[in-house]
Amino acid sequence: MRQQLETWLSGPRLLTLGILAALAWSLSRVDWQQPIAHGGGGDAALQALLALFPPELSPEFLRICLVASWHTLAYAVAGMSLAVSLGLPLGVLASGALAERPASRGRILPTSVRLVLAAMRSVHELVWALLFVAAVGLSPMAAILAMAIPYAGILGRIYAELLQDVPAEPIAALEATGASPLRSLLYGYLPMALPDLLSYTFYRLECGIRAAAIMSFVGIDGIGFQIELSLADLLFRQVWTLLIFLVTLVVAVDWWSGRVRRSLAY
Amino acid sequence: MARTGAEQARPQGRFRPRISSLRWSGYFTLLLTAAAWGFILLDGDSGFADLFRERTWQNAARFFAGLSGTENDGPSPFAQPERWLETGRLALNTLAMSVLAMGIAGAGALVLLMPGARTVSDGTLGGAPARAGTALYASVRVFYALTRAIPELVWAMLIVFFLTPGILPGALALGIHNLGIVGRLTSEVVENLDPAPARALRAAGASSTKALLYGVFPQALPVFLTFLLYRWEVVIRTTVVVGFLNAGGLGREFRLRMSWFHYDDVALLLTWYLLLVIGVDALSAQLRRRVRWE
Repeated sequence: MRQQLETWLSGPRLLTLGILAALAWSLSRVDWQQPIAHGGGGDAALQALLALFPPELSPEFLRICLVASWHTLAYAVAGMSLAVSLGLPLGVLASGALAERPASRGRILPTSVRLVLAAMRSVHELVWALLFVAAVGLSPMAAILAMAIPYAGILGRIYAELLQDVPAEPIAALEATGASPLRSLLYGYLPMALPDLLSYTFYRLECGIRAAAIMSFVGIDGIGFQIELSLADLLFRQVWTLLIFLVTLVVAVDWWSGRVRRSLAY
Repeated sequence: MARTGAEQARPQGRFRPRISSLRWSGYFTLLLTAAAWGFILLDGDSGFADLFRERTWQNAARFFAGLSGTENDGPSPFAQPERWLETGRLALNTLAMSVLAMGIAGAGALVLLMPGARTVSDGTLGGAPARAGTALYASVRVFYALTRAIPELVWAMLIVFFLTPGILPGALALGIHNLGIVGRLTSEVVENLDPAPARALRAAGASSTKALLYGVFPQALPVFLTFLLYRWEVVIRTTVVVGFLNAGGLGREFRLRMSWFHYDDVALLLTWYLLLVIGVDALSAQLRRRVRWE
């Protein structure tokens, strides 16, 4: 009987039950005593929806939107470039491509770099931003650094994995001719992994745009900041225009990065 | 002869634009990076110069001293079990918010899984191609693109405006954004599935619903679960951020303590945050391995 129960419970059924139990638990943590929408929330939502016809399209406001979009794009690109220049060396160290061979020694450095990378990416960029603003004050630089740290953590980890996936034979051939670890990195690992490295970096750029848009939260100008201002003034028509700009920017970057990634794929 | 010539020219012709478009993308990237940095460093006070001032680092040192609790009078929150319990309850709320968000994203993606896949709506997997199916496919894809393009935090800003603050609006914001991500990924997986099982079922007389249920679903489900678990790792990090907007959990308390300069409490909240992140990462990795084994 017990054995029957155990076999019945094993595998997919156990997983399904686990998922359902987790969902039920999470629903039980919701405070169902208070109303779901607050007073007037429904009316406000209707008003906000109707504000789409038409959104705010005055030239002055469109100029604000364009400037905000450029701010968001600039912070995203700056943050990403810093993340790449931080993540690439860390990724190389974490991959162990530079380690002495045979690789029996020198496992300490890659492992510790891996831990550093994990620590960098375990904290969300906005939490980093709040900490930075408290530590060094509110400035665009603080926001860029805050964005670069978790992104460098993610990029470094993926870079390390991509470098480790490079086929071993060409590297062995290079080493047989007496190439130093640095040379086999420059002429073996990096050229072979380059398309994948670039591809992943461009994929991340799209996420970077979204991250830069919400940096407004610590007071950095950008689309998110303008959305916050317009929401506070109940100017829903402006919110719609800003949302359209945000979606256009993300979709445009997504399209570009997709194009680059497709032409990098063999 | 002419034919061979054309054949020789063809791969070259295809190869060239690829390289040149890549080259232009490279130039564009360099230009964009230079413009971005130039703008940030030249436009107003970027704070770059502040990084080299002694005062900045003194402030930073004071902040870290505050975090470590060495500068505060009174007992450290780390030494008080009831503070651990209080913040632990907030951590549980944060965890619940992330699970609920994944539930919302998962349920939505599951419903839209079939209409969002081109191979299902155009009849490649059996069933007649219907114009309604193609229209449905297009609208599901546009919906995914929109929900994906708007960050969680902006969703939360909008939702908190209408719903009572709590973990539900936060989970909803996280869920909508992740629905776009998980939905798109899963639909692409369904499109790349082996159509043979569904076609065989159709040939054996199964209705199109049954063919999808038994021919497509079992193949797609493990990948779907893997994506959800991957996203859960991202979502647990973001749940705190959504919590900043009065959505409850660790995030709200974190923001309050920051604005009150209670940095030793901030350190305790950060500890819970890291525990959650490490715990969810480990659990997700374990579950993903289990899903793959089946």
